[in-house]
Formats: sequence, structure tokens, C-alpha cells
Amino acid sequence: MTRLNTNQIIALVLAALAVGYLAMAWQIRPFPLPRPIDSDMFPKVLGFTLLGLSLLLFLEKPKAQDVPEELDPEEQTGPLLLRPWSRVIVTSLALVAYALLLVPVGFVLTSVSLVFGLAWYYGYRRHGVNLATSLGVVLTLYLTMTRIMGVYLPTGLLPL
Amino acid sequence: MESLNNLMYGFGIALEPMNIAYVFAGVFAGTIIGMLPGLGPISALALMIPITFAMEPSSGLILMAGVYYGAIFGGSSSSILLNAPGVAGTVATSFDGYPMAKQGLAGKALAIAAYASFVGGTISIVFLMMVAPMLSKVAVSFGPAEYFSLMVLGLTAVVSLSDKSLIKGLIAAVIGVMISIMGIDLQTGTERFTFGTAHLLDGIDFLVVALGIFALAEVFYMLLRGGGGKEQPRNAIGSLKLTRSEVREIAPPIARSSVLGFFTGVLPGAGATIGSFLGYSMEKRLAKDGDTFGKGNIKGVAAPEAANNAACTGSFVPLLTLGVPGSGTTAVLLGALLVMGVSPGPAMLVDRPDVFWGVIASMYIGNIFLLVLNLPLIPYIAKILEMPRPLLLALILIFCMVGVYGMSFSVFDLLLLLGFGLMGLGMRLFGFPAAPLILALILGAIMEESMRRALQISGGDWSIFIDKPISMWLLIIAALSLLLPVVKQGLARIRAR
Repeated sequence: MTRLNTNQIIALVLAALAVGYLAMAWQIRPFPLPRPIDSDMFPKVLGFTLLGLSLLLFLEKPKAQDVPEELDPEEQTGPLLLRPWSRVIVTSLALVAYALLLVPVGFVLTSVSLVFGLAWYYGYRRHGVNLATSLGVVLTLYLTMTRIMGVYLPTGLLPL
Repeated sequence: MESLNNLMYGFGIALEPMNIAYVFAGVFAGTIIGMLPGLGPISALALMIPITFAMEPSSGLILMAGVYYGAIFGGSSSSILLNAPGVAGTVATSFDGYPMAKQGLAGKALAIAAYASFVGGTISIVFLMMVAPMLSKVAVSFGPAEYFSLMVLGLTAVVSLSDKSLIKGLIAAVIGVMISIMGIDLQTGTERFTFGTAHLLDGIDFLVVALGIFALAEVFYMLLRGGGGKEQPRNAIGSLKLTRSEVREIAPPIARSSVLGFFTGVLPGAGATIGSFLGYSMEKRLAKDGDTFGKGNIKGVAAPEAANNAACTGSFVPLLTLGVPGSGTTAVLLGALLVMGVSPGPAMLVDRPDVFWGVIASMYIGNIFLLVLNLPLIPYIAKILEMPRPLLLALILIFCMVGVYGMSFSVFDLLLLLGFGLMGLGMRLFGFPAAPLILALILGAIMEESMRRALQISGGDWSIFIDKPISMWLLIIAALSLLLPVVKQGLARIRAR
């Protein structure tokens, strides 16, 4: 059996998505009064279009731009936490933690921690400058949004 | 005469002290963001939306327009200094701008870029003033069928003109429309694709998608490529002065490319990138010293810069007169206007002349700011390029998070933002264009509404879309725009054999 290329794998994922989408489109409740076109029509058209396009993608040969470029081999042999994909995963986890802690801990503390922590993790070692920049930018953002624009941001643990 | 009176009215709005401050802030912020490689005008505009949320619509659009052409101008600076275009529309500038910088003429290249942008911007504003009201008058006669077909054309044009796979472009557009119709159907009150959660009843805010797909995905991409790529040596800027003979040499290319750029910008799907490449190749063909293009020819900097700024202004024509954006960038602008409660379209000239003429007048002021303030400041602004990349990436992340939270106050939206960031990264890695998705996201719901209204009028008869001549021609052009790349590919294959 030949191996599937990237386009074919993506096409299969998209086809599954289209089938799921169509299944949900069929569950949309009809409007009680008869109408020339109801809420489910457009989603059904979209679902079938995506299914058709997935089929075409399956048949399309991938070009150079359709395949991710090779990552730096030097970086890939480095410590696990500092490898390119680890950086994306750690950043994503940091953003999830930020989202969950924003309200209970407060905007200023979580934001300063996020900026300082991620800049440090990405390799910035001038900690004083890092802290001053994180604090300065976050406080400026906080004061601009709360005092000038009247946007509420959670205060959390700090009595700001 | 009427246009002049209207323009004076616009100046009355644009010259209000706060609006002048917004123009300056817009072009300044745009210049800085546009200069950062990877962060183009779409990211710049998306990052600005939360700031404009509480503003008067005219002030908000004045700020956003300033950010847009500021970003195009800023993009040219990193093209010239680093050979790393911050914006796709300034790629052509780097062909001759960077060689000039390597010869120690970076200052001259930056000055030419600024003058060309100024003239390109100014000439195109005059065209905008003339063309927009005329098009508005035609567009008043558009019914829902014509609007639906026009939006189909806008989408297909963006897909077919992207340099990526046609099928992937169409898939991105379909997914964009799918996202746009999530939530309660406003015509029937029916829930669609909400997965039973109250968070999705209002659908997904386009800012979440725009920031995720563009800004956040860009950060992830930079992280994959070694924390933002290797730092590049920056060339010294040198003198900004031009000689008289140089001015004489660049004047005709600037004039020609300004006109070409404007009309390219008006076309759906074209815009600054295609405009700048067309301007560059036109001048290369016309020039007697065409063989020196790519080696530091000053006309090779002037032409694409005039064209990209003119195209940027030109792209406001379909946005303001038809309410249909022709590119991903103007789609974000439309989204911002809708958030502010303004629906651009043919009625805007009558209903909101303050927004329409205020923005046009502010463009004149913005272009002057770009020339008088930003050009001398470029050596200092360029220092932003020396900002440590790890710190910069962390700051972009926080701007994205604050932008979304400040608008929706929803932790759920922050998680969605992350999801769209990862989706944007995947799209970028596997060659899916992002512009069709964002355009479809903005147009999707309006498209569905137009389609349903048209079918309601016709009693469910689909032939309404081809019975109306304008609608039929728009659909034919849309079909042709999709067929063109296929035909071109086929011809290339035959020739290769």
C-alpha cells in the first residue's frame, strides 16, 4: 500500500469534518412557517462544497509550498523543552494557563508573568530589562484600558 | 465642485484636534507594526480594533486607515534595511531597495519610498474622490441578487489571485463562511453549530479569528523557525537627500505606477501586492536601463512604492461604496466598521458623510504625516528592529490576549484565539492561504442573508441570480476568475512538453 501524501491526509481530515458538519446541518430545526429557503440550506451547500473540495484536494499533488519546510536540525537535537515544536506547545500551555488564571489572579500579575516568563523561556537573559519592559507595557496597557478607554480588566489579587 | 465641497466638509472633521492625533497615532503605529517582519497590515489592524471599539466611527476609521497605509510604508523600511519585507505589498521594493542599502544608500532608498508613497497615496485619493461617488450611484440599484454575486466574485478573485493552491484557497473560503454562520440565525432565530454552549450563540467574533490566524500564528511560526529567525545585519541609513536629476528620473514612474496601483487596488482580490509587482514590471519594461533593475535602480524602488500605496487607497473604493471588501485587509476594516455600528455601502455617502469624507480628508493628512514626520524619524523608528526577538514575541502575545479579552471579556474567547492561532499555523505550514478565510468570515453571513433575501423575492427561484444581467455577469466573471489559473496551468504543462 502506498503512503498517503500530506494533501491526501489533510483531505481525509477535511472530508471527515465535512461529513460531521453535514450531519449537524441535518439536525437544524426547521422554521415553523414555510420559507423558500430555511436555516439549514446554506450549511448543507457549504458541507457538500467542502466534501467536494476535499475530494479534489485528495487528487491534487502537493507542491513544495504544501509541505512544511525542514526545521533546523541543530535545534531539533537540543534539550527537549527548547526544541521548535516544544516552544509552540509550551507557549500554548502558557496561554491556556493565562486564560484560566486571568480572572482569579488579575490582569497585571498574569500578564507580567506571561511576558516575563515567555521572553525568558525564549532565551532572553537580561532579566532586569525583561522585568522593566513587561511591567511597563502591562501597566501602560492596564491604565490605558481601564482609565482612558473605560474597559474593565480583572484586578484579581492586587488592589489596583 | 460638489466633491470639493464634500472634501472641505471632510477636512472639517479630519482637522479636529483629536482626529489629527488619531491620524498621527495611526500612521506611527502602522509604521512600527508594518516594519516588523511578519506582522502585516491585517495583524496591525486587528490589534487596533479593541482601541477603536469605543470611538466615534469617523475617528475609528481615520485611525484604522492611518494604520493601514502606515503599515504599508513601514513594510518598505524593513524591505530596504533588512531585505525582510514586513508586508507582502513591499516585497517588490526590496528588489532594488536592499541592493541600494548594501551600497550605503539606504537613506536615499527610504526617502524615495516615502516620496513615492506620498505621491501615490495623494494621486489615488483624488481618484478615490472621483470614482467612489460615481460607483455609489450605480451600486444604489444593486439588489440582494447582485450583492450576493458581487460577494461571490470578491471571494473567488481573492482565491484565484493568491499564489497558493486554488483548491486550498477555496477550502479556506468555505471554512471562513462556515465559521461566519455559527450562532443564532437572525432571520429565523434558529441555533446553528453552537454545540450547545451559550458562548457560541452570538457566533465567533471576527477579531478572535483575525488575531489568531494572523498575529498568533505568526508568533508560532517564528517560534518554529528558531525563535524568530536569525538576526540580520542592518545597513547604515546614510543621507536622506535626493538630487534634482534623481527627482526628475523617478517622477514619471511614480505618476504611472500611482494610476496603475489605484485601479489594481479597486479590483477585488488584487491590492497592494499585485499592484506593486505590476508597477515594478511595467517600469522595468519601459526603462532604458531595465537591466539594472534588481541591482539598486532608484526607479525600482519608486514604482512599487507608489503603486502599493495607491492600491491601498484604491481598495477603499469597493469597501466604502459597495460595502464589499476586495481583500483580507479591507475585510478586517469592514469588520471594525460593523463593530462600530457603521455599515459601509452605497447609502453611506448619504447616511454617514462624516465617516466617508472624514476618512478621505484624513488620508491627505496621513500622507503628509508619513512624509514630514515619519521619514525623518525612520532612523529612530528602525531601532525597533533591534528589539530582542524573544521580548517582541512575548509582547505580541499579550497584545493579542488583551485585544480579545478587552472586547469580549470572555475566557472562552481567549481559548478560541489559541485554537485559531494553531489553526493558522497549520494553514501556513501546509500552504493554505489565510486571506480568503478572513474575507469569507466577514462576507459569509452577509452573503447568506443576500442569497436568502433574493430567493425570498423570487419565491425560491434560483434563476434570479442569472436573470438579472449585473448579477449574471458578476457570476460569469467569478467563474472565469477560477478557471483562469486552471487554464494557465494547463497551458504551462503543454508548453513544458
